[in-house]
Amino acid sequence: MKISGIKYLANQGIENIWKNKMMAFATFCVLLISLLLVGCSVLFYINMNSMILGLGNQNEVAVYVETDTPQERVDEIGEQLRNMDNIGSVTYISKKEAYERMQSQISQGKEIFDYIDDYQFMPDGFSVTVVDNEQLRATVEAITRIENIQSADSSPQVAEFLRELRRVVTLIAGAAIIALAAVSMIMISNTTKASVFSRREEIQIMKYVGATNAFIRTPFFVEGLVTGFFSGAGAFFITWAIYRSVYNILMAQGMLINAFGAGSIVPFADIRLYCGLAYLAVGSLVGAFGSVISTRKHLDV
Amino acid sequence: MVELQNVSVTYSGGVDALNNVSLKINDGDFAFVVGSSGAGKSTMIKLLLKEIDATSGTVTVNGYNLGKLKKRKIPEFRRTLGFVFQDFRLIPSMTVYENIAFVLRVLDAPLKYIRKRVPYVISLVGLHAKTNSYPDELSGGEKQRVAIARALVNDPQLIIADEPTGNIDPELSYEIVELLKGINDQGTTILMVTHEHDLVRHFGGRIINITNGEIVYDEIVTGTNAEVLPEVELAQAMENAARPRPQYAMPEDIGENNVPYVDDVIAAITSTATEQGGAEK
Ligand SMILES: Nc1ncnc2c1ncn2[C@@H]1O[C@H](COP(=O)(O)OP(=O)(O)O)[C@@H](O)[C@H]1O
Ligand SMILES: [Mg+2]
Repeated sequence: MKISGIKYLANQGIENIWKNKMMAFATFCVLLISLLLVGCSVLFYINMNSMILGLGNQNEVAVYVETDTPQERVDEIGEQLRNMDNIGSVTYISKKEAYERMQSQISQGKEIFDYIDDYQFMPDGFSVTVVDNEQLRATVEAITRIENIQSADSSPQVAEFLRELRRVVTLIAGAAIIALAAVSMIMISNTTKASVFSRREEIQIMKYVGATNAFIRTPFFVEGLVTGFFSGAGAFFITWAIYRSVYNILMAQGMLINAFGAGSIVPFADIRLYCGLAYLAVGSLVGAFGSVISTRKHLDV
Repeated sequence: MVELQNVSVTYSGGVDALNNVSLKINDGDFAFVVGSSGAGKSTMIKLLLKEIDATSGTVTVNGYNLGKLKKRKIPEFRRTLGFVFQDFRLIPSMTVYENIAFVLRVLDAPLKYIRKRVPYVISLVGLHAKTNSYPDELSGGEKQRVAIARALVNDPQLIIADEPTGNIDPELSYEIVELLKGINDQGTTILMVTHEHDLVRHFGGRIINITNGEIVYDEIVTGTNAEVLPEVELAQAMENAARPRPQYAMPEDIGENNVPYVDDVIAAITSTATEQGGAEK
């Protein structure tokens, strides 16, 4: 096929959008809504997941070193911890810091501890976070086995709960996304079918003059691709707007941030690129193939 | 060339639309296919376009054995012929120019050729002023002329026309047939289905009558008014288009003297049809 032929078919596809404005607009809307529904569910899931993971990370392991361990050994332990598997961050908590922490955590701590100006009775310690909360228990056990470690405390119940929560959220979100995607596919397929159906005679005439299936389909492909691309772009900008306002509302609620791990909500800037690309790619592909597949029934003459 | 050998078509509903039909139309012929409604004329046309397959027998068109033709070869085969239907079958979203140019696009013809050829065939059918009109803006006769221009734009060996005058004013019918005759004079084989006896009587030529799925008559007759020439304008255009193609010739076995007159033929046809109870005016 000559370049001019390909250009002709591509032009036909774009012209067809204009010539069949109403059907193209219907396809655009259906695709846009479908993309929004599925896209927003995916984003919701990503954030739930990130929040649960965030809560897990707050679930720090408090590691205490035996009280009379020399400072060099304490530093060594710090190094050992950092080199272990599944360790996120290791923060050294000096005796003094531990003392201040305790003071602030207990109500009226200031008064109670005020007369003790010697914090040497406090142990040196580390605040350790784990990467994978699921393996918390194993990691804590491994830490306890290090020499000169007095204890490593964590709350496995919290980890257990969060693990369960994540599983449930994944299941529900997964089911919802699959259901939405399925409903969208049906809506999209019906719309493209209607759009192609209104032009079935045109397709038949083309077959009569000896056009190959590929020749007839190419404009439909281009048409679907372009319509889908615009749906993707539309869905992206709408998502952006919604996401930003929800994000700002949540961020304004300081309490939520700490209590529910809302601090782990992903800022849109972090996902803008992927989100945009995913919308454009999915929109274009679904548009193009939906349109092409719908022509099949009418090509058989 | 068109050849049917012992062709039968039975539709899935059990209707025997064609029954053991054999027929040969040579290159350069002009043949009318007549017969009452429901006789099987359109079924024959559908066979020739490979819209349907014969239940038995062989169909050969332009050297393609249609029964054995692979699906992906159908487009290639269809490019060797042109078609004209009663309902015009123009693409409503395309202008006259685009409708005709489309055929050449399908062939991947060079743009330069398309730009010369399309206006030329449009002028052949006398629609130069309507080049950029849409089908909806044309009269029935004009639409059919566009369909004819489309049928001949790729210079096919054969043009198949199923009741091309069925949806247009009777006065204009003659114009359409004259146009087809003009194309035939350049060597293109033409097979035209009609039930308008006046037309057949006027033009004469080879007449094939199908009744109840069988060929009951197949003769060459002289038209009552065969000397009528196409419009001057058209004749001029055709002359310009002159291509070296074999001229339509009568088969030898029909001599000057035993050419039946078309009125006798029509009388015979009409009486047969009446007997069958399916007479048509
Ligand atoms: N697609 C079809 N399915 C079943 N029967 C059909 C179909 N097309 C035509 N027929 C029948 O076949 C016979 C011949 O029809 P057709 O070839 O269209 O006749 P004509 O064109 O001569 O009027 C008729 O009895 C008609 O009812
Ligand atoms: Mg018919």
